[in-house]
Amino acid sequence: MTTAPVVTVIAVGNPYRSDDAVGAAVLAEVAARLGDETRVRLAELDGEPVGIVQAWEGSSIVWIVDATSSDRPTGSLQELDARELGVSDPSWRGVGGGHALGLREAVEFAGALDRLPAELRVLGIEGETFDHGEGLTPTVAEAVSVAAARLVAAIRPHLERAH
Amino acid sequence: MTHEYRARRFEVEALTRVEGEGGLIVEVRDGELADVRLRIFEPPRFFEGFLAGRHFTEPPDITARICGICPVAYQMSACQALEAACGVEVDDDIRTLRHLLYCGEWIESHVLHVHLLHAPDFLGYPSGLAMAVDHRAEVERGLRLKKIGNRIVEVVGGRAVHPVNVRVGGFYSAPSTATLRELAVELRQALTDAIDVARWVATFDMPDHELPDGTALVALRHPTEYPMLGERLVSTTGLDIGVDEYPEHFAEVQVEHSTALHGSMLAGGDYLVGPLARFALNADHLAPTAAALAAELGLDPGERNPFRSILVRAIETVHACEVAVAIAEAYAVPARASVPVEPRAAAGCGWSEAPRGLLWHRYEIDGDGRIAAARIVPPTSQNQPAIEHDLAHLIGHSMHLDDDELEAVCEQAVRNYDPCISCATHFLDMRIHRS
Repeated sequence: MTTAPVVTVIAVGNPYRSDDAVGAAVLAEVAARLGDETRVRLAELDGEPVGIVQAWEGSSIVWIVDATSSDRPTGSLQELDARELGVSDPSWRGVGGGHALGLREAVEFAGALDRLPAELRVLGIEGETFDHGEGLTPTVAEAVSVAAARLVAAIRPHLERAH
Repeated sequence: MTHEYRARRFEVEALTRVEGEGGLIVEVRDGELADVRLRIFEPPRFFEGFLAGRHFTEPPDITARICGICPVAYQMSACQALEAACGVEVDDDIRTLRHLLYCGEWIESHVLHVHLLHAPDFLGYPSGLAMAVDHRAEVERGLRLKKIGNRIVEVVGGRAVHPVNVRVGGFYSAPSTATLRELAVELRQALTDAIDVARWVATFDMPDHELPDGTALVALRHPTEYPMLGERLVSTTGLDIGVDEYPEHFAEVQVEHSTALHGSMLAGGDYLVGPLARFALNADHLAPTAAALAAELGLDPGERNPFRSILVRAIETVHACEVAVAIAEAYAVPARASVPVEPRAAAGCGWSEAPRGLLWHRYEIDGDGRIAAARIVPPTSQNQPAIEHDLAHLIGHSMHLDDDELEAVCEQAVRNYDPCISCATHFLDMRIHRS
């Protein structure tokens, strides 16, 4: 019998826009660390809000991993409750898509349709450049393992409780 | 003598509810429209230069990243162009699987546009989010439909966003018969939902407006199918060409106010690609339920009101569901998931109908299979001049409106074309040198 994943981790970004690929890199490392854990769904998306909402369907714990662009130090990690996006700190407003709509809109949309998970957290990794091209800048690349370890540490207790 | 000079200028800094980032400038002087410019300020996309030097097997995956809404379109046009360059034709059952994958993308894209980007204009809401509060059942139905589109792309393409199962020559693997039979059951329900969506959209109050007389409608044409994968390019002005002839009839030019190239017909005049053009030139090939519904809802091939393109999208969604049901119910696992493709020094062109219209690709490859040159002409860059001229035409008839009303109707009119600015802003002259 298949059951809905307990946890969904969604990476948002574009692998051809330099440090915007950091979410996908973190996701790949999370996948490697978790092995064939079927209770965690991993999704790589481009930031379209409806796609984000549909990707977490059925999960009560959801993490979004994305690059951020603010005045914080390159490679630094920031974590917050997604419901606070754009409220506590305006620099988060654009997170989740280069388009006019982003993660904040996804959260509002999900709220209007009662589709918010019990826990919705965002892990941002501060990027240095978002120019066209492949490859992370060295400082951002160094942050990938740290971010993946933090995510896995946050996820494991939920999986143990779900046993 | 007194001279009454009245200038009106409004600028929509950031167009909302379009894919990508763009703006609109309208200037009116002495009561006459002086200028309309659709301004695209998203940074240019360098995909064409980026592809140079890459292996010929890579464009389906790389170009899929140009747009999160229509990756399949990029994959299909790229594969066809590269297969043409290599002198390969795929098997019929591989082509049918591609057709199914494309149905998934049309459903996803059209449903997203109809429900969250364009319906709010007709129902008087500032956003899809605001509309969802009052029209929850309709939005939930839209989400169900989008989900089945995602499901098709996931089953055939390997994942719902940026599919990874597509390769030059076909697919890396083909889905099982059992999987597609299950999908067919879900698609039957989706077809019912899609019919209800079209009937709902038909109740919207559509402004009375027509494209300027000189605007040609241009779309692919197939001998028997409504074209996702077409064979010839035809127009309401008598054009009928093959894929290699495209550069002899169409060009792209740089304009100062946009980082997207502007498409033009070398014979002169504006042209429009997309749902309105497809329907005008291919209504006779709609699947039976979609064709009957279009007639019931008053759509005929002579339709030239861009505001009614939302209804054409809804009919095309019905068509895509209907075709997908037929393919999924008749599906048998192909004898092989892909045909072998060996590179040779040659050039090849490919095209298909992205949800927003014609998407043309051309690649030159060398004998080792390295890409020497790539050219991609997306629908939004082709439509940009026609959008500007349609706006000018519309504004000319709407001068009595105050600025807020005029701005609102212009934004709605831009969204008639569902412009994908992310697709349009790639840049032709970029060179990347690799050591």
